[in-house]
Amino acid sequence: MRRGMVIDLEKCIGCRSCVVACKQHNAQPAGTWWNRVVTPGSEFHAVPPVKGREYFLPVHCQHCQNAPCEKVCPVDATYRHTDGSILVDFERCIGCRYCMAACPYGVRQFNWEDPQKSMQDYGYLPGYTFGYPQDYRLNGRLVYTPVRPKGVVEKCNFCVHYLAQGLEPACVRGCPGKARFVGDLDDPDSEVSKMIRDKNGFTLLPEKGTKPSVYYLPPKRKEV
Amino acid sequence: MSKKTALIITGFLMMAGFAAWVYQFKEGLVLTNLRNSYTWGLYVSGLAFFVGNAAGGLVLSSLIYLFGVENLKPFAKIGALTALVNVTAAMVSIIPDIGQPLRLYNIFIHPKLTSPLVWDVAVLNLYAALSLTYLYILMLPDLKGRLQWLAIKVDNPKEFSQKLAKRLAPFSLVAAVGIHVITAWIFATQGAREWWHSAALAPDFVAAAMASGTALVLAVSVLTYGLKEQYRQAYRTMSIIIAVSLFVHLFLMYNDYFIHAWYGAPEAMETLSITFHEYLGTHAFEVLAPLAAVILLLNEKVRNNAAAMIGSCCLLIAGILAHRFLLMPGAFGKIALTISPLGLQDVEWPVPIASGRYSHVLDTFVTEWHYFPSAVELAIFTGVVAFAGFLIILAIDWLPIVNPEES
Ligand code: SF4
Ligand code: SF4
Repeated sequence: MRRGMVIDLEKCIGCRSCVVACKQHNAQPAGTWWNRVVTPGSEFHAVPPVKGREYFLPVHCQHCQNAPCEKVCPVDATYRHTDGSILVDFERCIGCRYCMAACPYGVRQFNWEDPQKSMQDYGYLPGYTFGYPQDYRLNGRLVYTPVRPKGVVEKCNFCVHYLAQGLEPACVRGCPGKARFVGDLDDPDSEVSKMIRDKNGFTLLPEKGTKPSVYYLPPKRKEV
Repeated sequence: MSKKTALIITGFLMMAGFAAWVYQFKEGLVLTNLRNSYTWGLYVSGLAFFVGNAAGGLVLSSLIYLFGVENLKPFAKIGALTALVNVTAAMVSIIPDIGQPLRLYNIFIHPKLTSPLVWDVAVLNLYAALSLTYLYILMLPDLKGRLQWLAIKVDNPKEFSQKLAKRLAPFSLVAAVGIHVITAWIFATQGAREWWHSAALAPDFVAAAMASGTALVLAVSVLTYGLKEQYRQAYRTMSIIIAVSLFVHLFLMYNDYFIHAWYGAPEAMETLSITFHEYLGTHAFEVLAPLAAVILLLNEKVRNNAAAMIGSCCLLIAGILAHRFLLMPGAFGKIALTISPLGLQDVEWPVPIASGRYSHVLDTFVTEWHYFPSAVELAIFTGVVAFAGFLIILAIDWLPIVNPEES
């Protein structure tokens, strides 16, 4: 079993709903974004870099098979789950940020200060909280917590706390374009494997040899 | 400046650095000028810097005991001392970079063996232990009077000390090379950062370390022993070691740049342009300062003047510090996820990263950051430098580091 994702760029309308769903569901502190959607080549989002030519690219942890972040973590806080996804143990991480130097995708986020404080800087209402309200432990390891400690690293956890309830990740459920699919990349007959085969699925930065578990399907036509 | 004043000044800077660290511990690393796209700065450069300065000692000692360069003998203890102090400073300097320092014990109870950081912790500790043992063995014959209680009982301390030092030398040499290679591997293994991902980095670390480490030993030696005739030859030997190491370092560095510049791949060019454009002043300093220093040190007239010699050594060490600082901009100044957008010609586009920090003027997602350490980072780093200085002065004052009959 290798849990992976396919994102169909043909279907992505660049609405950033997945970004917001991800941020809200996972109680991400102010300034922290596990997921981002960009307009490649353009200075502004949703503005075509060349008239009439644009597409949108969602980027989050690629759950690499050869994950440098996993290999560099000195304390095994970043580790691989049995389904191949890469998780961070909020209780184990010492905050050395080696994994952030190691990850080529820029998806890892550090808690530079106490999240309660940064919420104030951002002007959230006092006492306002959001997101999945409970800690989630996987074999005893804290892989999701709504209240982040200061000084630890976090990133997309493939919504492992929802998987336990049989739910798809928040970004998949929140996508109005139905551009995101999750499935088993090891199974050649899975929907995701078929899509990758039939529609020329590609990965980001293949030259880095990280072997991502997130595939993209190229857009045929670009949104205007 | 008397020893006392020096101790007071370094002691004060040390306390100031410690206070800055306590403040940072309370507030978080938000007090640094780092951010999600630029995660390592002066503290990690400091690790590389201090590890480098630790080289001189045991390389020197192994030259004496493995290659029989007898005239360096009086300085073996200074070598071992600077090695011990700097490797300790290296470990101290990395603690402020840790977001959750109270969890550091996890490295010992859950070490991940694929992590170069784990290897580095192991080899730095090993090197510290070796340097300490070495220093102790060399001091043994002189542990008399009020230091008597420190000495282990042996029949002929002088002979025992010489024999054991000789036995330890090969291990020291391996460990000395090991700390630089493994520290370099922390960076060089990272394929995400073109600036580091080079086979030249580890040998270059060794070369730069031999230059700065030996310069430190030379400076402390001149400071303690002065310029007496019987040491002239040894100072000349050290100056030559420094010069040769520096030339090897410059060769390895420019060899790497040249190969990338010739091929001209856009990602390599962008990385190079950070150093040669944005940080040109610092780059000029990292090359010209040490070059000037070795030209001075190779000059007999300069070697007749203690202040000029010490100044040259400091200039060289400062240049190597600039070199260590420049480890970071080339690595983090360029966004690793830079793509060629589909359907666009000749466009290289960095995918912005959430900065993770609030600022009313800056964007939430960023691609550029001109890093310069914050006041807290500078205070802490200065504190660690002062800590190293403090320990060296204290040890020279208290322990038989300087041979009384020779000084
Ligand atoms: S995308 Fe980055 S954080 Fe995610 S698995 Fe790959 S290297 Fe690790
Ligand atoms: S910051 Fe945390 S997760 Fe990342 S490498 Fe260090 S200990 Fe591991």
